[in-house]
Amino acid sequence: MDHRFQINLRGVIDLLSHHLYSSPGVYVRELLQNATDALRARQLLEPAHEGTVRVELIEKQDGGPPTLLFSDDGVGLTEEELHRFLATIGESSKREALAERRNDFIGQFGIGLLSCFMVCDELLVVTRSVKGEGQTMEWRGRHDGTYSVRPSEHPLERPGTQVFLLARADAAEFFTAERVHQLALHYGGLLPFPILLTAEGRTERINTEGAPWRRKYESISERRAALLAYGREVFGSDFLDCIPLESTAGQVEGVAFVLPFSPHYNAKQKHRVYLKNMLLSESAENLLPDWAFFVKCVVNANELRPTASRESFYENETLAKAREALGQALRRYLMELARDEPRALQRLISLHGLSVKALALDDDDFYQLVIGWLPFETSLGTMTLVDYRRAHATVRYVSSLDDFRQVARVAAAQGLCVVNAAYTYDTELIEKLPRLFPQAKVEPFSAAELPQSFEELTLDERESVFPLVKLAELALQPFRCDVAVKKFRPKEVPTLYSEESGGAFRREVERAREESDELYASVMDSVLSSARGDDRPVLTFNFLNPVVRRLAGVTDRALMKLSVEMLYVQALLLGHRPLNAKEMALLNQGLLGLIAARLEGGGEDSGPGGMH
Amino acid sequence: MTAKDWHEQVDALLARASRLQHGEARVMALEEAARLADTHGDLDLAFEVRDGLIDAATFGGFPDKALVAFAWCRAQAKKHPTRFEADLLLWKQKWVVGRLDDFPHITRKQIQDALDDIEQTYARVDAGKRAILKLRYQTARDMGEEAAAEAYWTQWVAAPRDHLTDCRACDLDDEIDHHIDRGEYAKALRKARPILEGRSGCAEIPHLTYGSVLYPLVKLGRLEEARDCHLRGYPMIRRNRDFLAAVGEHVEFLALTGNLSRGLVLFEKHLGWALDHASWRDRFTFHAAAGFLLSRLVAEGRGTVSLRLPKAFPLHQEQGSYEMRELHGWVETQAREIAARFDARNGTDHFQKLLERTRGLEKDVQPFLIDTESREQ
Repeated sequence: MDHRFQINLRGVIDLLSHHLYSSPGVYVRELLQNATDALRARQLLEPAHEGTVRVELIEKQDGGPPTLLFSDDGVGLTEEELHRFLATIGESSKREALAERRNDFIGQFGIGLLSCFMVCDELLVVTRSVKGEGQTMEWRGRHDGTYSVRPSEHPLERPGTQVFLLARADAAEFFTAERVHQLALHYGGLLPFPILLTAEGRTERINTEGAPWRRKYESISERRAALLAYGREVFGSDFLDCIPLESTAGQVEGVAFVLPFSPHYNAKQKHRVYLKNMLLSESAENLLPDWAFFVKCVVNANELRPTASRESFYENETLAKAREALGQALRRYLMELARDEPRALQRLISLHGLSVKALALDDDDFYQLVIGWLPFETSLGTMTLVDYRRAHATVRYVSSLDDFRQVARVAAAQGLCVVNAAYTYDTELIEKLPRLFPQAKVEPFSAAELPQSFEELTLDERESVFPLVKLAELALQPFRCDVAVKKFRPKEVPTLYSEESGGAFRREVERAREESDELYASVMDSVLSSARGDDRPVLTFNFLNPVVRRLAGVTDRALMKLSVEMLYVQALLLGHRPLNAKEMALLNQGLLGLIAARLEGGGEDSGPGGMH
Repeated sequence: MTAKDWHEQVDALLARASRLQHGEARVMALEEAARLADTHGDLDLAFEVRDGLIDAATFGGFPDKALVAFAWCRAQAKKHPTRFEADLLLWKQKWVVGRLDDFPHITRKQIQDALDDIEQTYARVDAGKRAILKLRYQTARDMGEEAAAEAYWTQWVAAPRDHLTDCRACDLDDEIDHHIDRGEYAKALRKARPILEGRSGCAEIPHLTYGSVLYPLVKLGRLEEARDCHLRGYPMIRRNRDFLAAVGEHVEFLALTGNLSRGLVLFEKHLGWALDHASWRDRFTFHAAAGFLLSRLVAEGRGTVSLRLPKAFPLHQEQGSYEMRELHGWVETQAREIAARFDARNGTDHFQKLLERTRGLEKDVQPFLIDTESREQ
């Protein structure tokens, strides 16, 4: 008797192919899944039953589209179950319902079969159940929604299920021996029972050895080499190392591969995951803790719940626990490296420092173990905090790039060691030091403090530069900049412009205000009113610098003022302080003024206060 | 420094920024690159870098820096209309204008003018009204202009989508907030399903949504779901100060369910953000929630507590031992003072009401311990 589904089958197929599945090739996965389920169900009844999946490509004599026969010797379906699965299809018109249905054997069977209509117009299922009287039933379904169920005229000798797919002409590419082989290996490579492919008169076993991490190896090094070769085969990369993964929660096991390059932050690592040995996804992202972006994994999970599309895992408590356990496995690996193979750890840190730092921040034991290996940039070169503390009692650090640039050159010349903690996690890592090592002292450092470490002038020297200080103060008043004179190295540096951390932002707001229309200029004014860093910056003259000394002795006050202004502009530019409009005008007029002064002097070498 | 030198430096900074996740380090790298471009007078590069800086600052928790970088770019685009494409800035203008009310020092008039300005700007490129209506709705909501908020809400949800409206996930998240405001918790949670189930999302969703649904779930007694939302949502936000307000929602949830120790861990970890965050509204949300948490600890009779608080904290103790009452008092004062500044600016009592809501949370307390050992006791 012929029937018609109560629903629009085209609509369901459309839903499957456009929203649920990434490619029509998944029909092979769905058929393998059905066969696997049937075999497992039979093994529950007959534990000794081993089970085989056979895939046969039957070419048409006339060169028409081939037929694919997928058969298993699993549990099979009774007539009643066959009707139940048809009912399931009727209820499967919603995506959520589809996901629910997958959780039971019959439901999955039906939905799995539907996916075949992405590549064929007609489907024949012949099945004999281990239960009942051994009757063989057949179901013939068409993509237009008609189907028939009847006792088969060709009874099966043994229980099991056969599915015949007649390739649709436009889907012939999915029915070549090569493609079927590739798809079956891709999805079912880890399955624990043989998958046999028969095509062009030959039969071969597709999946050879099961998961590589479950195999036995002669030695640890052989195991490592085999796993790394597997990683290369799967991901096409020569990984640095491989790490075994295991979690009781979700029953997860597999292997993590250490990336041979520094990952890009945006490129979240995509892992290959299997569910009950069947490939679920090649782009699962939610498997590891967020600090662990230095590895790519291949894992099999037996008890994690897949999402409706069966392409990643559903976020639930089991997944959270599994993620925690996998994170622990990675942490153990890093801990062992720190203890036993510091060189390997250093190599890993050079590529994956961010991952290691992120973990150290959250995990005190790990911090204590690795902090000695983590490199920090300082004004005296790159060093670890251990090296740093060997030479200096207090760890001084700046938290912004701007601050570091302001202090780096001068601090280095003064022998002052300051850490550039502007990199991700560095400030937090340094501030954590005294919590775990109570004798350690750490102190934030600001560019504005730098002049305080400079040598003061003698009384006589003070007298000699006093006119310069008075005049400079007046000249820089309009720029809200204070003046000091000290001795510091390197002596080639005539002046140092220093300000608090917020200073650079204030200047940025001022410049945006200058450029803006009325509306945004007024908004910028409001921003300024609450911006930090309203302490005035300081221009410190270096008494060790010959030009500064000569300038202090100049009697022409106009020339002295001009020179001070130019030194101020130069200090700003050297400190990467973009000039505002007023300062730009200063630069332009100042240059002209200096040229004029030089020309007025008639080009004589001994002109008053000649600049060099 | 030779010309080649500084170009290389800028390239290195940009490359570093692109490798970093959203946060302070990324913002600093771009600021430094912008300064280099400015210092060397390369206007095109300065524009390009600041264009990226607006994004980094917006999604990295520095709305003030986003605002200033935007103002600069906008001015350059007006000055050199053929050189810079003003269209690039349209989308970002929405981010910037939408956060103006976060700053109590920005006047009401400035906010209104900026809204009128963006409306005209969008009208000039023939965009639909939807994006503007949402901005006006949210601003009115944030400032406590209830009647205006209601009116704009109705218009916003009815307006058709176009190329300048927010993504569907963001729109949905904002709709959810509206229902929560009105106490329509079941409806809010129904609407949140596609987001919470991972079917709809973007850069900030579901991160924000997990925080917003915590209170409704507690109110409806769906505590296990609330716990899952906390456990899933918090890891998404804990490394980015852009989510300070959402952290506040998680703190409030932990206090509501009696997970006081977990709550303190969050307080300890994130107080530093709240001390110098540019968004005073986010500071308020955090301090109000922290105040509630600390009040629960005071009520439990805790005299002192050991915490590792940042050096910048005014009550900072080197040994890390804090008087519970003193700590509570300080946090409450912060919340109160910020609320007063906002209400004075807005001319409403919206923040006062938010404070009262927090004070009334005590009646919603439902102990539900997350840590298994404690649960077994």
